[in-house]
Amino acid sequence: MVDVDLTQPPFSFLNEEGRERVRHGIDLAYFDRDEIILETGQPGEYVFLIHKGEVAELDTTQPGARERIGHYTAGDLFGAISILNGKSRYRFRAEQECLCYLMPKALFLQLCDDYPAFAEFFRQTLAHKTRLLTEQRAEGGVTMAGFMLAKVSECMRPPLCMGAEATIAEAVARLHESHADSLLVESEQGAGMVTKTDLLEALVLQGREKQSPLRDIAHFALVTVRPDQYLFEVLVTMTRHKVERVVVLERESPVGVVELTDVLSYFSSRSYVVSLQVEQADSLDALFRASRRTPELVKALMAQGVKLRFAMGLLAALNGRIMSKAWGFLIDERYHQESCLMVMGSEGRGEQILKTDQDNGLILADGLEWPEVGEQMQRLTETLIELGYPPCPGNIMVNNPEWVGSVSQWRERIARWARRRDGDSLMKLAIMLDSHAVAGNPALLERVREALFEECSRDELLLSYFARTALRFSTPLTLFGSLKKPQHGIDIKKGGIFPIVHGVRTMALERRIKPTSTLERLEALAADGRLEERVAEDLAEALSLFTELRLKQQLERLDGDGDGKSPDRVVVQQLSSLERDLLREALHIVKDFKQSLSQRYHLEYS
Amino acid sequence: MFRALRRAHDRRRHAGGEYGWLFRPYTGDELVAIDCETTGVDTRTAEPVSIGAVKVRGDRVLTSESLDLRLRRPATLTGDSIRVHGLRGVDLDDGIGLDEALATLLDFIGNRPLLGWRLDFDLAILNRQLRPRFGFDLPNSGIDVAQLYHRQQRRSVMEPEPRAQRFEAVAEALGVPVMGRHTALGDAVTTALMYLRLERAGMQDRREA
Repeated sequence: MVDVDLTQPPFSFLNEEGRERVRHGIDLAYFDRDEIILETGQPGEYVFLIHKGEVAELDTTQPGARERIGHYTAGDLFGAISILNGKSRYRFRAEQECLCYLMPKALFLQLCDDYPAFAEFFRQTLAHKTRLLTEQRAEGGVTMAGFMLAKVSECMRPPLCMGAEATIAEAVARLHESHADSLLVESEQGAGMVTKTDLLEALVLQGREKQSPLRDIAHFALVTVRPDQYLFEVLVTMTRHKVERVVVLERESPVGVVELTDVLSYFSSRSYVVSLQVEQADSLDALFRASRRTPELVKALMAQGVKLRFAMGLLAALNGRIMSKAWGFLIDERYHQESCLMVMGSEGRGEQILKTDQDNGLILADGLEWPEVGEQMQRLTETLIELGYPPCPGNIMVNNPEWVGSVSQWRERIARWARRRDGDSLMKLAIMLDSHAVAGNPALLERVREALFEECSRDELLLSYFARTALRFSTPLTLFGSLKKPQHGIDIKKGGIFPIVHGVRTMALERRIKPTSTLERLEALAADGRLEERVAEDLAEALSLFTELRLKQQLERLDGDGDGKSPDRVVVQQLSSLERDLLREALHIVKDFKQSLSQRYHLEYS
Repeated sequence: MFRALRRAHDRRRHAGGEYGWLFRPYTGDELVAIDCETTGVDTRTAEPVSIGAVKVRGDRVLTSESLDLRLRRPATLTGDSIRVHGLRGVDLDDGIGLDEALATLLDFIGNRPLLGWRLDFDLAILNRQLRPRFGFDLPNSGIDVAQLYHRQQRRSVMEPEPRAQRFEAVAEALGVPVMGRHTALGDAVTTALMYLRLERAGMQDRREA
């Protein structure tokens, strides 16, 4: 009568026979509120699997509120480590009335013997656990099923067709302007195919003229599929025939082409398709359509367990391209070399997964005459809003003259902020420090950032003021203790993300490190010797976890599930026990980092 | 009164028989919670469809020592009861015969005291099958958890005539999860949990008194 989910780790590492042994080998026990279930030093006799209720893990050597080091709720298990270690290191106490399943020590040890993966679960490190979580998510299979069931018609692209008499030169030009790799040649004997490689070989290896007709080099023995076939069949066909593209035939006539890259990118969340659409957009309307598909892309990437840092990188690149394209459509070409559009804040760091507020500014070359700049920037801001980037509440946008200026004006501003050192100025310095060029001439931004490093990196007092902000919010180490109502959750942005991002930013400023993304800054700081390699890795791992948890809530909101919930609040009870372990570890990493910041920048007495 | 007489009679007749040990007083610390799913609510006609039993030792419900018997399709199986327990005729195709089921049950419970939710109903159902085959009723002492709950309610709320409480409502009031309602074993486990819960409360009352 076991009423627990045995499909979650660690039970997912057992086979059905093993799970059956669990079901038949465990008993139920009741514990009253405040009853001690397992005492410090007591030998471990059972693995406890909570069916109902909450249990606190207490380190009795710690004073007061610090003693509470763990928390377990329904579905969690504890006591396994006590069995492996021989005795319990901590005290486990029922926070509420609890109903636990008890797995006897003998059964647990047998399962460990018989299922190495099950045993391994209890010996995991933080990084290991992260990987497990990712793999588990990847196995979810939602997108996989989507891929398996996708039809050719969903993935094919319209064929480029040319007559058999068209020349090689014409074909090359056509391929170039359509960003394609192959085209179809129509002739009396049916359709044939010419690829870029064919063209190259014809010209170079066979020494043909640019004016020779395609008829002579096209392949007429085509590998074809039907539009209603499954995509995976196509993959099989391609593999069997050792080709990278197939022609889609409907009633004898070609209606499309499927390329291997298309199939693979469909498999890997269609990211390629979205970026292709962005790239091929030749009007604002087409850009709107492509831009709207980015949330879908993020979801697909997450569902497949793509590492967050790569997903962030891809999205930042895509957002950059979308803005750059919009800029290209709106801004007169003669200003392109003389100005630079920069994005700042999280967009500048490339750490924004979903589109959020615009944070952007404009740098103009000294001496540039651009009378209608205000009007054009207003239009750019409005267009970006339509593209799905909401306005910045702090009004840090190009339609605000404060965030538009010549290189010299920007330098003056930076010098002024550095002198003032008040909250507002420090914030603006931080924003500028994360700026990243997306359109126009990036050299202009380089000059401004040079000035910023010059002004600030040696100013110990300024650095100390700058660093202090990282300690502004407390990091909630006990996930439950301090909350009035557990469903209030903990603020992951203030408690976890912000201290890492800002602390790393401060160090990057001190060391004049150019990359703007926190992960790249961490790598640079490790290479520079400023941070220990291990510390940098841990911080990167912790930041990824926080971002991922936050993203999950943002996606839920997108689906309309999380109404009224702040995406920054993580409700610990809703996490799986594995995620909760990770979160606890990660918050400890943040705490240690803050400690080291306060030593380096002398913040102890502030 | 009648029941006591019958038990005395049974004991005398079976003391030397195969099941004589069932009539000896129990000295261990275990109980057995039982529940039957049946083809109806009338104890004179209803037949068991499945029988669940689980041992209780100290403050543990020994789900690792439980019994979950599915019986061969009885003649009285109808749509009404199928709606309650969800066991259709085809689900019982590989069920075991009553003779075998009752023998297994007797071995499992032995002379331990029984726990049940409205235990009289289950006993009536079982005894009606047991007597013609084995020649006796279950001699075990029993605790009706429904009555136990009512007694406790009376004590604490001072209600003279407690309303008949529904199984789920009581489980909820006691904070006990319903473990698979209308499966014999599930109901037996829930009943056992209710009993543990009530026993704990009783101990507390006695301590405080």
